[in-house]
Parts: sequence; structure tokens; C-alpha cells
Amino acid sequence: MAAVSSPMQFSRRSTRQLMFLVLVAASPAIVIHSWFFGIGMLLNILLATLMGMAAEALALYLRKRPIRSNLGDNSLLVTALLFGIAIPPGSPWWLLLLGIGFAVLIGKHAFGGLGQNVFNPAMAGYLFLLLAFPLEMTSWHLPEAAINPATENSPLELSGLAQSIQLLAPTTDLADGLAMATPLIESKMAVRSAVSAALDQGLNLFSRTSATGWELVNWAFLLGGLFLLAMRIISWHIPVAVIGTVLVMSAVYYSPGNASVMGTPYLHLFGSATMIGAFFIATDPVTAATSNPAKIIYGIIIGIAIYSIRVWGSYLDSIAIAVLFGNFCAPALDHYLRPRIFGRGQAGKL
Amino acid sequence: MLSLKHFYRSLASGGIRPPANKAETLRSRIMPTPVPEQLLLPLQQHQGMAADVCVQVGDQVRKYQLLASSDKASCAPIHAPTSGKILSIDTEIDLYNTGHRQICISLRCDGQDEALELDGDCVEDHRSLSREQLLARIESAGLCGMGGAGFPVAQKLAAGRKSGIEKLLINAAECEPYISCDEALIRERANDVVRGAEILRDASEANDAVIAIESDKSDAIAALRAALVDSELKLELVSPRYPVGEERQLLYNAMGIKLSRGDLPVDAGILVFNAGTAAAVCQAVMETRPCISRIVSVSGAPLRTPKNFEVLIGTPVAHLLALCGIDHGQHRRTIIGGSLMGKYLADASYPICKTSNSVIATSEEEFPGTEQEQTELACIRCGYCADACPENLLPQQLLVYSKAEQFERASNHGLADCIECGACAFVCPSKIPLVQYYRSAKESIAWEQDRRESGKQWQERFQFWQYRHKKNAESKKDRKLVTATDTDSTQSEFSRQQAREEIAAAVARVKQKRARKKD
Amino acid sequence: MALVCWALVRLGLQLRNACKRKISIVDIINAELPQTQCGQCGFAGCLPYARAISQGEAINKCPPGGTSTIRRLSILLNEIDEPLDPAHGLLARPKVAVIREDECIGCTKCIQACPVDAIVGAAKLMHTVIEDECTGCDLCVAPCPVDCIDMVHADSRPISWLHPQPTDSWRRLIGSEPAEC
Repeated sequence: MAAVSSPMQFSRRSTRQLMFLVLVAASPAIVIHSWFFGIGMLLNILLATLMGMAAEALALYLRKRPIRSNLGDNSLLVTALLFGIAIPPGSPWWLLLLGIGFAVLIGKHAFGGLGQNVFNPAMAGYLFLLLAFPLEMTSWHLPEAAINPATENSPLELSGLAQSIQLLAPTTDLADGLAMATPLIESKMAVRSAVSAALDQGLNLFSRTSATGWELVNWAFLLGGLFLLAMRIISWHIPVAVIGTVLVMSAVYYSPGNASVMGTPYLHLFGSATMIGAFFIATDPVTAATSNPAKIIYGIIIGIAIYSIRVWGSYLDSIAIAVLFGNFCAPALDHYLRPRIFGRGQAGKL
Repeated sequence: MLSLKHFYRSLASGGIRPPANKAETLRSRIMPTPVPEQLLLPLQQHQGMAADVCVQVGDQVRKYQLLASSDKASCAPIHAPTSGKILSIDTEIDLYNTGHRQICISLRCDGQDEALELDGDCVEDHRSLSREQLLARIESAGLCGMGGAGFPVAQKLAAGRKSGIEKLLINAAECEPYISCDEALIRERANDVVRGAEILRDASEANDAVIAIESDKSDAIAALRAALVDSELKLELVSPRYPVGEERQLLYNAMGIKLSRGDLPVDAGILVFNAGTAAAVCQAVMETRPCISRIVSVSGAPLRTPKNFEVLIGTPVAHLLALCGIDHGQHRRTIIGGSLMGKYLADASYPICKTSNSVIATSEEEFPGTEQEQTELACIRCGYCADACPENLLPQQLLVYSKAEQFERASNHGLADCIECGACAFVCPSKIPLVQYYRSAKESIAWEQDRRESGKQWQERFQFWQYRHKKNAESKKDRKLVTATDTDSTQSEFSRQQAREEIAAAVARVKQKRARKKD
Repeated sequence: MALVCWALVRLGLQLRNACKRKISIVDIINAELPQTQCGQCGFAGCLPYARAISQGEAINKCPPGGTSTIRRLSILLNEIDEPLDPAHGLLARPKVAVIREDECIGCTKCIQACPVDAIVGAAKLMHTVIEDECTGCDLCVAPCPVDCIDMVHADSRPISWLHPQPTDSWRRLIGSEPAEC
């Protein structure tokens, strides 16, 4: 008897597909990263995915939700991917387990599961590790040397650099090189380091230095982001606002004399995690603002936070903190910046 | 091509571009249908009131003969689509399974198609008729809007006359998937549409008339351009996106006028008519022919040859499906209207009404989930719905509030402004049946309000009842005190006994009557 | 948590308004009751039940109000949202009384029983129900000596059938009875 009512036709696009396309968009960058710095990041992602799946299944079981359909929406894969990229390659398995466990159980399911979480789970997990295990999270191992010491592939040019940094910052455990730390971190650690000098000179392909590697990875993330835009999976508002804000701020505060202290705009955009942050992390629909004006403000807030924390704060790269800060603001932005209803005088009012 | 102005408007007002699925039905010309064996004519085929039947069971009627009419303004008369015998005048059907039952006249066709002679002469030019004559012809033809809601045309014109009309908009934008009846009509009978538009303009005394059509219907545009050569009517091309054909959306896209949900175009001095209505008006005025048929697109994957048909009102849908060569193995359900705002027909033997613009036979591949359930995933707040919403609402917020039955908040977020176009549900990657949630919430709000109002009334009546009983009891007590001494108690005792006997006798009579009925 | 806070704030506001306008809590509760005056709760009418609720009576004794009334009352009074007490009747669609007029003997018993004066007629003459005024309380059915009163679904009410809220398996055709309101 119950009349099933309109609409009857639906687009074929599903959450599952969206999440999968996000993975596809991120994959070139990961491949490039692995090419330059070894498979540490791939291992991270793989391990994080497996452990995250287990954590998700456990959470769904405890919450008495259908496990298969909820695991099948691929959202966990994206969380694990972002988490795996964020933490240092070659990190011990227990670190990964703690991080992804926190991300899934506390960051996601404690808030009510997919769609209900206030904070980006991957970033919450990363930040949890950063606060709980600062030493492990800032030790950048050289995975290729660790996994396959015999190989001659490890970027030899780096050894000198590593030594110089060690000299400048002897207390930090950076001896293994700079496989993962973004050049920005180096720039902060080592004033006038070779890396930032290389970045100042611009792109130098085929040199397989870590700086070039990072540049390429960022370009790949940019391309992936443009792919997401072209597929209309994300809207332009957040990435443009984030990147624009970082660009404007770094250009305003940039002075050629002390380039390495503040960093050039190019360093801020392509020598750091700005691209992945702007296209892949800040655009997480669950935790971002939803209406278009709110999205722009949200992106600007994140952009300001990224630059401020990097330059004046004491954390090295600041995407995670900036995004979580943006997440804090998103509900209020959504509440106050409602679009004007068609044909009505004032927004949201009769 | 779209002008810049129209392009901007289309950007500003959301909407979606679902696969149109119109090419199959547009491949052939509009085909006439053979007269079916039996027609079923609902007395209320539009918004407003049902008509009163003016024929008897067993009457032989002829084509164009009046079957039902009413002197109420909100009611369009119904005419016999062909000749035949009245089988019944009280068949009850529930077209869309919504508990809203309709009474129908059932007509057995004799196949002779004998026509009643039309009273009133055919005219070549409607300008030879006065405005009153035009209105009278439109009213007696029983026309109602052919787009969807089906407002009686005469009533709309009368309302426009009261408030004064400046502009007339002919809605030739047919944005919903699968529906192509207006496009086919314009392709073949653009002259009728243009003439009908001129008649409506003169009947409503509008200064200006605009025909709005989507920019991607090139054949129809060419036909309209040819028909418009020596006419003052203007053609406006709007962006081809769903739901541009919705009245207020079209007003904005074609004329730049934004109306809020509660406002009628009439209040802004504009009347909007469907292109199909205009063509029917042309026939009604020029030839005094009542509205007995309409164009219906019949499509869907289980049909071998989807087509546009010129269908007699009251034709069973199954008849049309059979004409298209339906594969019963694939066929699941039948939709009347488009795939986004249509309704599931309860039974394929139910008829085509004046407002039915399209019939879709669904199959499992084309409409997954009509048979099997489709699970709804969690909302990930992706905001696609907000981008698609033509009303600029926040569907994801409305969903939260509707689901949690926080109706006040839902209303504050503009739930009442939702036009149930289904754009949000179409784009939703989590397959959430958003519109169903909104519909349920809207109805609950209306129901609650209705109940509150009647509750107040009931309470007042109950209080009065209590007051009266109290008073009665008091006065009875007084009377007893006064009359206790001098009343003959046997008298009242006797009458009471008499009453009891009478009641017993009546009860017995009813019991006998019922027993006889059972036999 | 938020719901509780909201409920508390709402209750507080209503109480403040009540004090201002000299409306008692009984009136606020009474406004939430459906006013069918059916007495299924065990009280003679909705107002007495409202009075009893204000003095601590259970809120789940009103079948015509159904789940929505119980929920509203529970929010209003900050009580637990309990299911309807089946001892007082079951959930049902709104109904109205209809007199089979050819069987009516004109005894006026139903007229006296009707709490809202929705039945008209005179002694020994046919009676009929004013449908708009009938609350569907069932009170006229029992007194009728010839059982000629039927309770039918109120189809002529503006909304007698509501689209059901979709559940997870919303497309499955659910049962034969439309969703209860």
C-alpha cells in the first residue's frame, strides 16, 4: 500500500566511487614519492589501511552497525591514505596502530561514525601521535637504507646535507637524512640549508635530490587536485581559498634578504604539504564547511593558520593543526553563512 | 545559443543535468491511438473540485458530449472522448496509491466515434471574437493546465483578470527526463502553440507574451522561429537544466523575476501557461473543440518502440504500453510523469488524465531499486545537494532536522520552500531518499497544525458540553424539588415504560431488517 | 545532552511565559493533548488528564495522541519518552463515526454520549454525525442499542494519509497498512 514516491531516477555516482577517485587522484604523488624516497610511505599506507580496517570493523561491531556496507564505502581508505602520508615513513608498527586506531575509534566513531565526526580523523590521529610521541614523529628515517641497505639508490647527495644539518642542529635525530621531512622543515631547522637554496633556484628535474622530489610530489598533488576539480568531486572554493591565502601571506611577508627565514612563496606552496592540505585534507566534506561562502572563509582561516603556525609557531609543518582549527570553525560558519533562499528577501528569513 | 544574461541566471540557480532520455520518443512523429474498448474518466483530473456527473448509467453518449460539469470556478467540465455507452458513474480508483480515492465515469466505446455537432462556429482569426467569447469557449472546453498541476485555465484567466496581467509566459521548457510531449508538439504544431499563446494573451489582456524554451531543443526552436515570423511574441532561450521548467524557476531564467515560494505569478502580474495548454486553447477557441485528448510520451527500456501519442483522455495506460510493444518480463512498474517528479501508477489499467504528460515503464536496470531495496548510506555532507538545489536551500541540514523530527528547525531552514524537485536526491552519492524525508516532515507539520486547530475547536465544544450538562443537572434538581409533591409518579413511570417498549420494538425491527438483508 | 539542554531551556521559557500570562502548566500540557475527549486515559476528557499529568500522572496513556504527543510531553516535562501504554488502547489511524442512517431508530443515546455535540437529530428521527466535529472518540458506539455506528478512517480529513518517513530499507513496500501517524 505504501506509495513509494518520487524521485525515481538517481545519478550513478556513489560515495564509494567518490572515495575511490580521491585515491586515484592521490596515487601519482605517492608513486613519485616512492620513486624518490623509497617505499616507506607505501608501507605506511598499506599498514594503516589494514589496521584501520580492523579498527573500523571493531567499531562497527561494537556499535551494531552493518559491517560490510559501511566498510565498503571506501571512506576508511582515504583516511588511511592521508594518515599514511602524514606520518614519517618507516615508523614502527605500533605507532601506526595507535595513530590509526585513535583516528578511527576516537576521531570518527566516538562522534557517531562517518558523517558525524567534527574533526578530520586522519589529522586527529596524526596530531594525537605528534603530541604523544614527539620524538618518533619528528625522526625521519631513511627507509631505503633501512629496508635494503645494500642498494646504491639512496640519494647520495643528501649525506652532505644531512651532516650539515646535524652540525647545525645536533640535538635532533636527523642523521638518517631527509627522506620525508618536507623541505620547509629543513628550512626552519637549518637556516640557509642547501635544500631551500635549491628551492630558491627553482625546479631542477632529474637530479633526484629530496628538494626536487618534494617539488614533484607537490606538483603531482596539484595535478591530482585539479583532477578532482575536473571530476567535480570537490568544489574550487576551499583549495583556491587555502592556496590563495598562503600565497598572499607568503608574498606579503617575503623579503629577499632573509628568504630562508620566512620562506619564499614558492617554498610555501611547493616545498611543503600545502597542496595535499588544500586539495585532499581541507576538502574532506564531512568536517569542512558546506555552503559556498562558508567554504571560502573556511579556506582562508586554514590558509592563515598554515602560514602563521609555520612561520611564527613552534610546529614544523602545520597542515594538521590548521585543518583541525578550521574544523572548529566550520559549524559556526555554516550556521551564520546560509545561502539566501530563492525568492526570499533575507537569508534564511521569511 | 544562450545569451550571457541567461547563462548567468543558470549559474545562479543550481539545478542538475540528468540524462534526458528523450531521443527515443522523438524519433517518430506524434501517433494517433486506436480507440480502446473502455475509457475511465476521473471526475477530478486537476487541482480543485470534482465535477458533478450529468449522465445516467446506460446512456448512449456521443463524442464531445458533456459528461460532468459544475458551476464552481475551480472545476473543469469533462466531455466524452468518443461515442459509447456509460457503464458506471461510480467506479472508485486510487490512482497513485495515496489513499486519495477518485470517482470515475466508465465508458464502453462502441468504435463508431460518432461526434456531436459542435455548437459554435469555427473562426479563422480569434480577433473576431470578443474577450468574453474567448473566455466562454475556453471555459466550456474543460481545459486545464497540461503541464502537471493542472489548474483549470478558465479559473487562472479569471484570477488574472481580477489582479491585472502585464505579461504572459508560455512554458515550453520541458526539463524532466523522459518527457518529450511538448517538444514533439512544438515540432509538429508550432503554429497552434503560437496562436494559442496569442489567444491567451488577448484573453488575459497582457501586453506582452514570451515563449521560453531550452536552448538545446534545436528542432522545436526552428519550428517556433518559423511560426513566430509574423507575430509579436518573443522567444527566450533558457539553459537546459533541471528544473528550469518549474514555474518560478522559469520566471527567473526567462524574465529575471524571482518569486518566493508562497507567491503566485498572478500576484506579480504574470500568467504562465504550458505550451500544450496553448495548443489546446487554440483548438478550443478556433474549432470550439473540447479537451478530449492530449499528447503523452510513452517511454522506458521495456518498450520496443517508445513514442509520443495523441491519446484520448481516459485511455488505460496498459493500452498505450501494449501499443509500444511492451516486454512484460522486463517491466516492473509504471510512472506517470517524469522520472524525478512523477508518481507510481497503482495499476496499469488506470487511465490517462488531462494532466498526464508522460508514461514511463520501468525496468530493473534503468531504475535500480524500484524492486530491490537500496540501502541508504551516511550523509557525508558533500554539499552536492546544496549546489543542485534550485531553491538555494541546505538539503543536508533539512535532512538532519527532518530525520530527527525537529520540525521547527526544519521550517526555519526553509523546508516549506522545497519544491520536491528531487535534484538533491538525484545527486546524493549516499543514495539518501532526501525528498521522501522532506515530504514526510512537511506532511507531519501540516498534520500537526491541522490537529491543533481542530483540537482547539473540540476543546471549546467539550467545555460547552460540560457547562450545559452541569446546568441541566442543576435545573433538574430544582425541578425535582418543586414538582416532587404534586406529580403523578405513575404517569412518568408509564411513559418511561412505554418508551422502553418502543425502543425494544425498534431494535427488533432493525434486527429483522438486517436478517433479511443477509438473506 | 544537547536535547536535554534544549528541553530544559524550552521548559524554562514556557514556564516563564506561563507565569507572565498567567497560564498554568496544565494549559500547556492540555495544548499538547489531542482533545478527542475520548477518555481512554481513564479521565473524563483531556483537561482532567492534563491536570493529572501536572501532578505526576504517566504521560503515555493517550492513544489518539500517539507517539508524537508522548514525545512532546516528554520534552516539555523532561521525562523519559516511553512507549504508549497498551492498557489504554492501541495506536490507530484517526477515525470518525458514521451512522448507518437507515438503521437508526432515533433513540438519542449517542447524542447524549457525544462529548463535542457532533451528532445531530431528534427523538424518533434519524441522527447523523457532523464529520468535521467528530473527534473519533468511540464514545457513541457503545450506547447505540442497534449498533448502527461505524468508526471509519477519516478519509475526508485534509490529510488522512502521510508519506512514511523512509527507513533504511525505504523502498521495500511496507505492509498493507499505511504508516501510523
